Amino acid sequence: MKAAIQITGLTKVFGSKRALDGVDLIVEEGSIFGFLGPNGAGKTTTLRVLTGLARPTSGRVRILGRDVAGADDEVRQRIGFLPDVPGFYDWMTAREFLRFAGGLFGLTGSLLDERVAVLLDLAGLTDVSTRIGGFSRGMKQRLGVAQALVNAPKLLMLDEPTSALDPIGRKDVLDMLASLRGRTTVFFSTHILSDVERICDTVAILDAGKVVAHGPIDDLKARYGAQKVIVEVDEGAEWLAGEVGRAPWASTVTLTEDGAIEIAVSDARAARCGLPAIVASRGLALRRMEAGEVDLEDVFVELVGGGRS
Amino acid sequence: MNGFTAFVRKEATEILRTWRILVLPGILLFFAITGPVMARFTPEILKAVADMPAAAIKALIPDPTYLDSYGQWAKNLSQIGLFALIIVYGGIVSSERKSGTAVLVLTKPVSRSAFIAAKALVHAAFLTVIVTAGTLVTWGGTALTFGSAPVAPLLDSAFSWLVFALLFLSLMTLLSVALPSQAGAAGVGIGVYALLAIAGLSKTLTLYTPVGLSSAPSVLASGKHFALLWPVLSSVALSVALVAAAAWLFSRQEL
Repeated sequence: MKAAIQITGLTKVFGSKRALDGVDLIVEEGSIFGFLGPNGAGKTTTLRVLTGLARPTSGRVRILGRDVAGADDEVRQRIGFLPDVPGFYDWMTAREFLRFAGGLFGLTGSLLDERVAVLLDLAGLTDVSTRIGGFSRGMKQRLGVAQALVNAPKLLMLDEPTSALDPIGRKDVLDMLASLRGRTTVFFSTHILSDVERICDTVAILDAGKVVAHGPIDDLKARYGAQKVIVEVDEGAEWLAGEVGRAPWASTVTLTEDGAIEIAVSDARAARCGLPAIVASRGLALRRMEAGEVDLEDVFVELVGGGRS
Repeated sequence: MNGFTAFVRKEATEILRTWRILVLPGILLFFAITGPVMARFTPEILKAVADMPAAAIKALIPDPTYLDSYGQWAKNLSQIGLFALIIVYGGIVSSERKSGTAVLVLTKPVSRSAFIAAKALVHAAFLTVIVTAGTLVTWGGTALTFGSAPVAPLLDSAFSWLVFALLFLSLMTLLSVALPSQAGAAGVGIGVYALLAIAGLSKTLTLYTPVGLSSAPSVLASGKHFALLWPVLSSVALSVALVAAAAWLFSRQEL
């Protein structure tokens, strides 16, 4: 598998602030890659370096096999980019903007006509003839994704494409991105975990300018996610929760609204042996005991949650 | 079509479809239409309102000629026309950075130099067209108002101002790259204008440098001679250098 993006030892310093601190990252061709991190982690800075808008303080960045250092036209010819807040010429219509964007790539004639028609359809803007100045945030974001696709890029990079959108707008944009699977490498930054779980196959988690995890989502869940056990008893749940909380293998214990007890465990085997013993010691009736599913949020909190208030 | 020509087309269309088509053309057209009329009737208006015998006024203000009309055009261009240009073009680059449109364009195959060159070229052409049109209207208005309007002094005057205006367009392009604020760039631009006017006290600078073009339009419009060769050549060279400096600086900046 070839790398669409290869970042080695990337550092970016603004004054006394180290925005990126030795980032290493490989994004394989054909993947839908979620670049996850809390606000201020350095996601936008990474994308600005990748697109040649900013220069690295040190380190090496290669896109589609070429160094970005020169950020020459040949690299830009093959990428699509959507910034976090895309700026459009408000006096243009969506069709005019897509034709303009295509023109910047040298597209003309019937090829440009076809591309623009397909992308307007994809963005759901075919019948919209108002100027972009009157567009909603969601319409602008969909147009933003469409303009990033006008050159049929080998690599599409998007910065927080779904933030600030309502649920329907988010779904529209995620559907647009998911529809590209297998045709284009998609690399997008976000702090919205459910978006990543929904469409990405691979993720990297960035925190304070460093990549703290990197790999297929299932691998990360297996590697970093604290394992969970869910227990339900007929009565005495509160006593049981308190008792389990004192066990050495229980990291956190949560009593859910429906009366179940959700236990994050550090040693799954010890928990499986110890839990029934605690339940039996009080003569409680065990209704359910099962392994809970680890989601990306657990991984995220495990990796970047520590030290945050 | 490549990225450069697509961007040139955008820039030209933007002039036609936004406020840009109203401001400078509107100001120049207003001066072109009112200038000859004002030149012709100002003495009579003064006669009507001044509490002086007509003979005394006539002694103070001689009968106007077509040269007064040309002088009016040159004065309006050199003052309000140039100030308007400086203010309008204070944001020629920074406005695209502020609105985020520069990022969308410059992550496509358009180099920073091409971005700057396209803007400078299109707006130089735009200025040339509106100054030419305004000058033709002034000439027609002068002919109608005064009956006679020899074209040479007006053309020389307008040409010298156009070269001066293009120099300021180049300067504002550089300032708009260097400064994020349109008002800040315009302030510096007006400061440069004031410095050039002061430098005009030096005869050597007036004869051989762009400084000469701050006074040349009025001198030429009055029918007097002004040696334009060196001021024009040095202004053109400086304009090219300023645009090149803007492109160089823009290429080094992070967006």
